[in-house]
Amino acid sequence: MPAKIDYKKCIGCKRCYDLCPMDVFTIDKETEMPKATYNEECWHCGICWMECPKRAIDITYPASMW
Amino acid sequence: MTLDRLANNVIDTDVLVIGGGVAGCPAAAKAAEHGLSVTLVEKSKVDRSGSAGQGMDHYGGAFPRGMTVDEFVEIWKELGWESAWYFGGKFADPNRLYRLYANGQWGVEELEKLGVNMKWYDGKIRPIKSVRQYPFLRIHWMYCKPEMAAGVKKRGVNVLNRTMITDLLTHNGTVVGATAVDTRTGAFTVIRAKATIIATAACSRIYDPETPVPWKYKFRFHWCPASVSGDGWAMGFRAGAEMANFEQTERGYRYRDDLTLSQGNRNNEGVSGNQFTWDGEPMCGRDRADLERQGKTPIYVTIENIGDDFQKRVEIAYVDERMISLKAAQDRGFNPRHHWYELMDDRPNQLHVPPGLLGDMDFKTTLKGLYVIGDSVAGQHDVANAAVSGFLVGDSISSYIKQAAEPIIDEAQVQSIKETVLAPLSVKDGTPPMELECAIRYACNRYVGTFRAEGKIREGLRRLASLKREFLPKLTANNPHFLTRCLEVRNLFDVAELHMLACLERKESRDFQIRLDYPDKDPKYEGMLLHQKLVNGKITLDWKKQGQMTLAGSHKEER
Repeated sequence: MPAKIDYKKCIGCKRCYDLCPMDVFTIDKETEMPKATYNEECWHCGICWMECPKRAIDITYPASMW
Repeated sequence: MTLDRLANNVIDTDVLVIGGGVAGCPAAAKAAEHGLSVTLVEKSKVDRSGSAGQGMDHYGGAFPRGMTVDEFVEIWKELGWESAWYFGGKFADPNRLYRLYANGQWGVEELEKLGVNMKWYDGKIRPIKSVRQYPFLRIHWMYCKPEMAAGVKKRGVNVLNRTMITDLLTHNGTVVGATAVDTRTGAFTVIRAKATIIATAACSRIYDPETPVPWKYKFRFHWCPASVSGDGWAMGFRAGAEMANFEQTERGYRYRDDLTLSQGNRNNEGVSGNQFTWDGEPMCGRDRADLERQGKTPIYVTIENIGDDFQKRVEIAYVDERMISLKAAQDRGFNPRHHWYELMDDRPNQLHVPPGLLGDMDFKTTLKGLYVIGDSVAGQHDVANAAVSGFLVGDSISSYIKQAAEPIIDEAQVQSIKETVLAPLSVKDGTPPMELECAIRYACNRYVGTFRAEGKIREGLRRLASLKREFLPKLTANNPHFLTRCLEVRNLFDVAELHMLACLERKESRDFQIRLDYPDKDPKYEGMLLHQKLVNGKITLDWKKQGQMTLAGSHKEER
């Protein structure tokens, strides 16, 4: 999973949803929190990670990119 | 039938700018400063989209102000641009190149007015004479896109984020606007425009991604954002605009550690390369394939000996351009100061600098009402060229707008585009876009990858045609997000076809084209560029002589 949200830290500001160039995130209807729905399209640019005010997002790499 | 019934929204504008990157924002802002109504359409979100979405560490056009054509030609010769692979010298109109570089300093001032930081820590512009051998500025551009987005909004530009332009609209050969789809709601929009500017990037998605994992994480490329799918080229091509240089694939090393080091960032700090074979022999100028056969690979590069000061400077370059690099290094326990980086295979990775839409001295395409700026122009690249071409077009377009006829939209054309564009939403049990994109990439990699020959290219064209016939109509999307991906795949088909046909047509090896059946340069192609366009559903191929410098030697740009 490239973009992983830590919901203990996430404040639901939706910045990641707002800025992701590939539109990987959606907003969960029930919780109104961002969700990494289209993670297979993540290209690890790190924009969500660097823009998140709480550093609640981690970018992790699959084995082939290690 | 009226337009209002066909489309969810109808927008009227003087200028439509397609793509909100480093070319599109300056063009939109400048046109708005002249009092024109401007609509800027961006597939992602302007604040963090495009090639400079994560940031940028260099501005490559800091040539002296008031440089005459003669002086420019002298610099050109000195730098050896005719043979330098990374520069547009041989792929572009040299007159336009002069205009871009002669206005490089003007671009710096205009960017500052737009709100973009051009200064170094000490509050001064920081020029560098780098190993890339051309004058450029080191810049802190981590926030260039938020800055540009704010500048554009301040000037009253109507910005449509998360909106993908699908096709250009034409009337009697004049471009009169475009159709668009909202990537989140699927709303279909018609934009009626007196002038349209294509400001999209190049195309980095017809070749294999760097990661060997099929299906997942397929979008990653270290130079280009993953959203770059040749949209501007494909829509221009379908509307009949002339294109050039599509056989010239750009090749690049793949760094296993490209997240932690890019040759570019190092070069941009003036640190020269130190490449060596695994047993420590210098790499310089040796053929990689030979080294592979001799068991001399992997090839490594290191910055361990450059000194603490330079290492710090390289690290700052990462922060300016791609902060995630530092995190990736940390996660892997990779210390850029001590560890070696592996340079993996040198493979085609994108269509970038040479190919593109033909633009003249004023960035007009061969279609009336259609301009092209930035990376979309044949033989043009770099943020400086992108920004300057944007400012130049934005600055001059009002004279075209003043005499342009009211755009007339052909409703039948809109209807037919709408049916094609929205079709994947009603296909059940079809092919997901990712599956088809992987197939296109496989075909390009297999048949027109590094080494080309007639038999392979012809097979590639057959493969591509059958994929298009069998699978394009079966593309399926269960929501607007995947519809966007489907529309990108449609564009990839057009770019791949142009590419393969051009590879077949150039029967020689030159620059990025390596033909095993024609291993040498053929003098008859000297200075000849391959032009392509769509005429009555067929792609024409024409050889045309590259433009010569026609501006008078004492001519000077006065900005």
